Amino acid sequence: MDSPSTDSVSPRHPLAVLRFLGLVLLGSVVGGVAALVAVGFVNAVVWLNDLLLISPRGQMMAADTTLVILATLLVPTLGGLLVGQLHRGLPGGRSHTPADAIAAVQTRRGRLPAKAGALSALSGLVSLGAGASVGQYGPLVHLGATLGSLITRLLRLGRSEDNITIACGVAAAIAAAFNAPLAGIVFAHEVVLRHYALRAFAPVAAAAIVGYVLATQLLAQGTLFHITEPGVPQPWEFALFLALGGLGALVAGGYMHAILAMGQLAKRLPLPTSLHPALAGALLGLTALWVPDILGMGQETLRFATLPGAYSGGELLMVLLLKLAATALCLGLGFAGGVFSPALVIGTLFGALAGTLVAELGGGQETFIFYAVCGMVAVTAPVLGAPLTTLLIVFELTGSYALTTAALASVTLANPLAAQLFGRSLFDIQLARRGLDLSAGRSRAVLQEARLTELISHDAVTLAPATPLKAAISRLSQAGHGEAYLVDGRGRYQGCVTLASLETFREGSEATTLADCPETPRPVLDPHASLWEAMQQLQKVTGEAIAVVDDERRFLGVVYESSIARAFLHHSDALRREEHGAG
Amino acid sequence: MLARRLIPGLLAGLLVLATPIRAEEPDAADSLTVLSWGGAYEHAQRRALFTPFTEAHDVPVAVDSYNGGLMELRQAVAENDVPWDVLDMTRSEAMAACEEGLLKPLPPELTASAPDGTPASQDFLPGALGRCFISHSIFATVVAYRRDAFPGERPTRIADLFDQQRFPGPRALQRTPAANLEWALLAYRVPREELYRLLSTRRGLDLAFARLQSIDNIHWWEAGETPVRLLEEGQVVMASGYNGRFFAAMVERDLPIEILWDGQLQEHETWAIPRGAPNPEAAQTFIRFATTSERQVELARHIPYGPTRRSAAMQVTTHRDSGLDMRLHIPTHPINAQGAVTKDETWYARTQERIEALFRETLFREALTTQE
Repeated sequence: MDSPSTDSVSPRHPLAVLRFLGLVLLGSVVGGVAALVAVGFVNAVVWLNDLLLISPRGQMMAADTTLVILATLLVPTLGGLLVGQLHRGLPGGRSHTPADAIAAVQTRRGRLPAKAGALSALSGLVSLGAGASVGQYGPLVHLGATLGSLITRLLRLGRSEDNITIACGVAAAIAAAFNAPLAGIVFAHEVVLRHYALRAFAPVAAAAIVGYVLATQLLAQGTLFHITEPGVPQPWEFALFLALGGLGALVAGGYMHAILAMGQLAKRLPLPTSLHPALAGALLGLTALWVPDILGMGQETLRFATLPGAYSGGELLMVLLLKLAATALCLGLGFAGGVFSPALVIGTLFGALAGTLVAELGGGQETFIFYAVCGMVAVTAPVLGAPLTTLLIVFELTGSYALTTAALASVTLANPLAAQLFGRSLFDIQLARRGLDLSAGRSRAVLQEARLTELISHDAVTLAPATPLKAAISRLSQAGHGEAYLVDGRGRYQGCVTLASLETFREGSEATTLADCPETPRPVLDPHASLWEAMQQLQKVTGEAIAVVDDERRFLGVVYESSIARAFLHHSDALRREEHGAG
Repeated sequence: MLARRLIPGLLAGLLVLATPIRAEEPDAADSLTVLSWGGAYEHAQRRALFTPFTEAHDVPVAVDSYNGGLMELRQAVAENDVPWDVLDMTRSEAMAACEEGLLKPLPPELTASAPDGTPASQDFLPGALGRCFISHSIFATVVAYRRDAFPGERPTRIADLFDQQRFPGPRALQRTPAANLEWALLAYRVPREELYRLLSTRRGLDLAFARLQSIDNIHWWEAGETPVRLLEEGQVVMASGYNGRFFAAMVERDLPIEILWDGQLQEHETWAIPRGAPNPEAAQTFIRFATTSERQVELARHIPYGPTRRSAAMQVTTHRDSGLDMRLHIPTHPINAQGAVTKDETWYARTQERIEALFRETLFREALTTQE
């Protein structure tokens, strides 16, 4: 371990500087690879949507109405069938999402599995291509993260580098897909890394820049929403934007809980899991015959929602509810895809609804776009748990400072309110349900992830219950231990005795064997327990070690208090170096 | 058939092709027949392209003219009796003809690099280099207005076409969906990249129709000269039309009109070689010659059609006859092209009939009353 003095401002070793520059270079390589793959992914989705008559353009180009109806019904259904089959090859039977990347970084585990990443990306591509109401940025982010992790592993670098390259892949994917490098950098910090270290910032920034430059060269598709010269809102309207933020948080909560609830409901369906997406696809296609706006990522719907008069108030409400339901259905029943794009659409519809109401009550139509954008931000930021990223996306895509300030008013209320009511983000809620609680920060996540197995020691005195008291005392004294563990003939753990208590009994009672002695009450640990649980137990114990016992009460060894403390210090130190290191 | 012998490889095909044709038509190698559009356009081409080509390569150029359409070409190819070496076609027709197999694919290295060495693929505008065609110039459907109609103010954006409060007065629009639908959505501030995606939905079309219906007093025109006349007679204050016609009216007849370049709808005009052309080698030589930056610049000194090369667009100078600065009059000059929309010809090729039917049905029950 480094001595504290090396952390000071003294000039660094040239080799360390080179290593750091190498890391930045690695970041840009990861950025380049992730961006190329992201651009390919985005183009493939557009191509599939046109080919499969899912996009309005594709539908319009196919003159045959019957064909379009058939495609609307069959393409999502068959796509769902395919997704269901793909998911059988994945552990847990579900596609991996940004939540898995977040978990890998927050627990310092890194090492995102390549096969699961590739299969998830493929099923994301099929889902999006077949018109499921899901987002494309989730698959892109996870794909970028997997590529980053893979490159680190190929170069045989450590976990710390692994975490940084995961963040690089994420930043590049966002920078490329949105044409927004700043948003990419901030997203990687705000959502994935959740700390700010210069050591990570430089490679992540390099990745985002490379991603952005490649994407502007290769991605012909225009930006997500290009907005020209919005007006200037009245001062009092900022109060409305703030309020829109509060209401948006509730919409975001409804959206997140609808997705989670649908996932719970799916477990009770009398249908094999691999057929769930097909069911969702069939229902989606059927509804889309009536309201085509809910099909796919919904870029056209998003754009229309920003145009005053494109939807009436009633239509806005109906499309909002149906889009929310469709997305919950698709994601809950196992289509692979993100939550971001649908949240953008739902948020914009919600904002447009507010703008329409304001206009009807006498406000101006000129600032309609502000309501649409504020609604979008107010719903999206809480879902992602990323207020700064969402603001930067607005800023980088519109170039409008006025719009960004209005959006700032909305996230000011939206994020904290949603965090209090529901959780920091949908990812955090999902991870918490899988047993990883990120609400107490990364240090706890790391301890929750660290396993006890490697700390188990066999250097302990085990005694049969029938051992005479005297013999037990002499065994303990010879071994130099203060505690002994009672293990019966079948290897079952029976309890724990201390040298002090044995001495007391020898003097004060007629007990002859250990079985007659009252044992010292002690908690035991499961071999699969985390370091975090061990530390919780430690608070109740004064002694040298805790016994490790499996489900059938077989004695497996002990964990010394000192080794728990050492492990804790080791993890804290690694974390400290990663999060506060400058290079 | 000759075409089959082309398939194994372009170079081999060219060599094989030249021999039998020469045997049938001994004069073919010595002359080049171009099919173009006649009138002032052909006159400009003759001065800027055909005569200089004859001077440089000693090959006389004969010109045949037509009014567009693929009928004649289809028939000629079917009968294996193609009289033309080079065709001047709109890009949408060139695309369709290429898909039908009526055109010879062109080698990618046919076009010359820019004078500064920029490769052709980067110098040409996107979409200018097709499999069987090369766009040589760009014309535009634009809005023009009478300079004396709005004292103190001038329209600067295409949305002003629909703003009859600030710019009162009747309008003249072409009786086709093209340009009108695009402009209507642009007036809602839809970015131009998204126009055709939104026009692919019923909601987008309805929005566009609603914006068009919001205009009071529209004169719908069909013949290209009508909007110029309507402006000249003062019957309308703003009219859509082709930029070449408005230019002629401004320069030759001194009409007090001005072009509003924002929202201009650009279309490509291309060179192509028909399958079974009598003299394909000379045709390729001609296309290479006519698409150099130098020739494109020269053509733009006779008619206000934009060069398809960036290097040429930057060098356009004055009108040969009047000495006017042509840069202000060609659609592709960077200043004019800021708000340009490129017509999505693939989209129109597939949807034209349906969109047109809907356009008539929606607009003309009410619009008939205002039509003269």
